[in-house]
Amino acid sequence: MPHEWETNAKGAPEKSGAFSFKAGDPPMAVLHLWPYRSLPRRGFVWFIGLTFALLSVPLIAVVGSPVLWGLLPFELAALGLMWWLLERSYRDAELIEELKLWSDRIELTRHEPRRAPQHWQANPYWVSVHLHPTGGPVENYVTLKGGDREVEIGAFLTPEERARLHGELQDHLRRLR
Amino acid sequence: MADAAIHGHGEHDTRGFFTRWFMSTNHKDIGILYLITSAIVGLIAVSFTVYMRLELMDPGVQYMCLEGARLIPGAVEECTPNGHLWNVLITAHGVLMMFFVVIPALFGGFGNYFMPLQIGAPDMAFPRLNNLSFWLYVTGTSLAVASVLSPGGNGQLGSGVGWVLYPPLSTSEGGYSMDLAIFAVHVSGASSILGAINMITTFLNMRAPGMTLHKVPLFSWSIFVTAWLILLALPVLAGAITMLLTDRNFGTTFFQPEGGGDPILYQHILWFFGHPEVYIVILPGFGIASHVISTFSRKPIFGYLPMVYAMVAIGVLGFVVWAHHMYTVGMSLTQQSYFMLATMVIAVPTGIKIFSWIATMWGGSIEFKTPMLFAIGFVFLFTIGGVTGVVLSQAGVDRAYHDTYYVVAHFHYTMSMGAAFCIFAGIYYYLGKMSGRQYPEMLGKLHFWMFFIGVNLTFFPQHFLGRQGMPRRYIDYPEAFAHWNEISSYGALLSFASFLLFFGIVFYTLFAGKRVTENNYWNEHADTLEWTLPSPPPEHTFETLPKREDWDKGHAH
Repeated sequence: MPHEWETNAKGAPEKSGAFSFKAGDPPMAVLHLWPYRSLPRRGFVWFIGLTFALLSVPLIAVVGSPVLWGLLPFELAALGLMWWLLERSYRDAELIEELKLWSDRIELTRHEPRRAPQHWQANPYWVSVHLHPTGGPVENYVTLKGGDREVEIGAFLTPEERARLHGELQDHLRRLR
Repeated sequence: MADAAIHGHGEHDTRGFFTRWFMSTNHKDIGILYLITSAIVGLIAVSFTVYMRLELMDPGVQYMCLEGARLIPGAVEECTPNGHLWNVLITAHGVLMMFFVVIPALFGGFGNYFMPLQIGAPDMAFPRLNNLSFWLYVTGTSLAVASVLSPGGNGQLGSGVGWVLYPPLSTSEGGYSMDLAIFAVHVSGASSILGAINMITTFLNMRAPGMTLHKVPLFSWSIFVTAWLILLALPVLAGAITMLLTDRNFGTTFFQPEGGGDPILYQHILWFFGHPEVYIVILPGFGIASHVISTFSRKPIFGYLPMVYAMVAIGVLGFVVWAHHMYTVGMSLTQQSYFMLATMVIAVPTGIKIFSWIATMWGGSIEFKTPMLFAIGFVFLFTIGGVTGVVLSQAGVDRAYHDTYYVVAHFHYTMSMGAAFCIFAGIYYYLGKMSGRQYPEMLGKLHFWMFFIGVNLTFFPQHFLGRQGMPRRYIDYPEAFAHWNEISSYGALLSFASFLLFFGIVFYTLFAGKRVTENNYWNEHADTLEWTLPSPPPEHTFETLPKREDWDKGHAH
């Protein structure tokens, strides 16, 4: 599933009442979310390799004739274009949402390809997590309310994943408080 | 940060007519545009053949006269045969059908519309590239039609060199009509390659989570294999015709013997593209037929994995058999034996598919709705075309049949019937889904029977003509061939009538057909993702990823 938590285990603070994870410390938990892509890198290599092999078949027939130089540019252009556009499709999906949790601060950053990253931060005490089973742009829409506005999180996941995400977010927020 | 949009508004389409249809980046709209355009071009290409069949109905030349082409037959004595016009028509029919009708309809039309839906993708990977592909296709079509009407060889309009554009015929044809035809093929090739790369990327990288390659519906698989074949074959054609162009205009001698070139080499690279091309034409049809047969037999498709790998095998084998189109050019015995055996091997994966379709129907509760009739007709007629293909694959037998009407009958059984029956099966199967209105069943069946009888009447007698030795690509023939030619022409008229009826049915359906209210108006065996959507589907689909239980039916494979 394309989201993962990194939690930072740390004992209770020495001075009771102080925050365990103050801003500036490493965060208590970091959440990464990214959209699903169905072609693994290994598959990409296989596909380009096979395409290259089959593109070479007609060249065998024209080796040693000037016709080779008429075919080669077109063959290579087709392979290059295929390669570039598959890479581009990976890059289009290099969308990562990163949520960092501290005791007194919560930060959400959205990195999108070919765009400046977008930020949102708030104090976790005031933050609430909402699940909208219907009414949102997608089923089981998850939003975080706090700071200056309400923001979405994980809109590219599947509905079931978002339902699970909602529970996990609530757990983590509860532990922070 | 993406602000939350909780009070999402319902879907409403705010695009104007021009924005929606001329600047479209939506895969469903582009699919429909492809289908409409290819239907119009198909009508042009079919009307050319009807005119040719009229000419061949009786011995002697009654229509295509140097004094002027006629629609009403004239007396043979007052008519000087115009062989150039004839050649232009067979060339235009071939070029239009191969590049601008069948591939755009099956691959561009159905592929664009249904492949992203079946794999649960919100759109193609590169929607704007998709728009570019479509308009390049329209440009190519316009160039091809312009080529027919512009100054060509023999001081007349158009060029008559055959769709394969063999040099030195194509390099010595006068006028600029030939150059326009080459540009037309170039542009359509660019369109197909861009479209193919788009389809491949979509298929590989945008499948719904959990949909592994062994769970993708057969139609999407067929589109992927087709796209791959296009990517591998079309650059070769582009290179070949570019060299033709420079031979014609810039004095190069790639294919000119007087400058050390080799015209046979052109045939090799043309057919290296041309043979995969015929599989490009038919493979998406295989995909459609699989879904239709499974739906109307109320059984999951028999042997899903063998079906997939048979398509891949047909695709790969298609690249190593090209020279069976040119046994008579003087290859060595070893070369001929290789190409003969390799060609016959293709019968194995094709047989796997045919038998799997039959096994799917076996013991099913078959419902003879129009799409099913077309699909069964396809299996039956494609098998006939395949069997004559095995006959023709033998180098010795091909000596006798080469360039006779036997070959014409063979490839029309695979393409005019194989591919066309699949297109019609697909249209009737999906018309309700695409338009939200259902076609009248009775008229659909009438269309099937007229078309089925018409095409068989047209092409079956051509086997006899070929066996009697009647050569292809001639405007006239000795009286001995008159009988079967006359019958063949009657069949062509009947087929043409059924084609016009088809246009009538589509217009009736679009404007007055019964409204479809269900998502899935067939039965639960139409179980791919497009059937979970309303008919017609909204502008945006699967923006949220589909649930696994929507597409992963335990019984299916």
